[in-house]
Amino acid sequence: MRTLLFGRNPKWTLIRIAVLVTVCGLVFGFVLLPIRITGISMLPAYPNGSLNLVNRLAYLRHEPQRGDVVSIQLTGPHVLFMKRIIGLPGETVAFVDGRVLINGKILKEPYEENLACDWNSPPVTLAGDEYYFVGDNRSMPPEDHEHGVKKRIYIVGKVLL
Amino acid sequence: MKILFRLILLAVVVAAGVWLWTVLFPGPENVIRHRLAEIARLASFNANENPLAALGGAQKLAGFCSPTLQVKLAAPTNVEHTFESREEIAQSDLAARAAFGGTLRVEFVDVVVTLAPDQQSAVADLTARMQSSSDLNVQEIKFTLKKIDGQWLVTRAETIRTFS
Repeated sequence: MRTLLFGRNPKWTLIRIAVLVTVCGLVFGFVLLPIRITGISMLPAYPNGSLNLVNRLAYLRHEPQRGDVVSIQLTGPHVLFMKRIIGLPGETVAFVDGRVLINGKILKEPYEENLACDWNSPPVTLAGDEYYFVGDNRSMPPEDHEHGVKKRIYIVGKVLL
Repeated sequence: MKILFRLILLAVVVAAGVWLWTVLFPGPENVIRHRLAEIARLASFNANENPLAALGGAQKLAGFCSPTLQVKLAAPTNVEHTFESREEIAQSDLAARAAFGGTLRVEFVDVVVTLAPDQQSAVADLTARMQSSSDLNVQEIKFTLKKIDGQWLVTRAETIRTFS
């Protein structure tokens, strides 16, 4: 029983456990943030109740790209929004009959092809540190769907899966 | 060995003393956090709540506000409600409980308290999690509190739009 619990060499078992705990602590404390998705704004790709990970180091070497699904911080780390980036700094973003216009040109969004959307919103020009975020489920009314402009510093990381 | 034991014992006693001191004499930031947690608890209610309990809860909630205040709350449909007295707060709280009908759990998370240099007023930015039986809503709220007659009272509260 003792061999089964602690292995043939208890000293090495303890070292292995300590290394595992340290690595898990470092990875899940500083690199990969586990999240549980609540809500329907990212359907169909990210269903309500599913689990995911946020890579906090994703934007160390490059800036966020259009189409990236990211987590956005509110006042702290316990509640985050999960949205897709559609507008980059300096661009003008508008919704016309459900289509996204970037600088007046229609944005191709393969993840949106099967969803009906009739949103309309006036053009918004983004500042040098601002991005435009929106969820994938645009079949819901725009007033029920949190979306819009937020500064780069609020992006926590890129959703991994 | 004896010295080491005494040093460890001394460190434990000092740590316990510091902990006891912070419990008995909490700083303004901790007092504000406790009051905000109490506000969240009072804003929560159960389905089929006793009307007397609801009235008591609404009056207690209003008691956390200063006599003159400004509360601006934007509903998810972007309709804004403004309240400017304790009575309005209590009445609207009772009306909301009656209209909602179900159970609502309010929790304030990620509370960031910024004290003024004179330590007589403070701003608290937080995220409110509102969980009903069918839905979860989150909303950023900014509270302004002032120390009046030794108590931290809410003088202003407003919902903040996460995205502009």
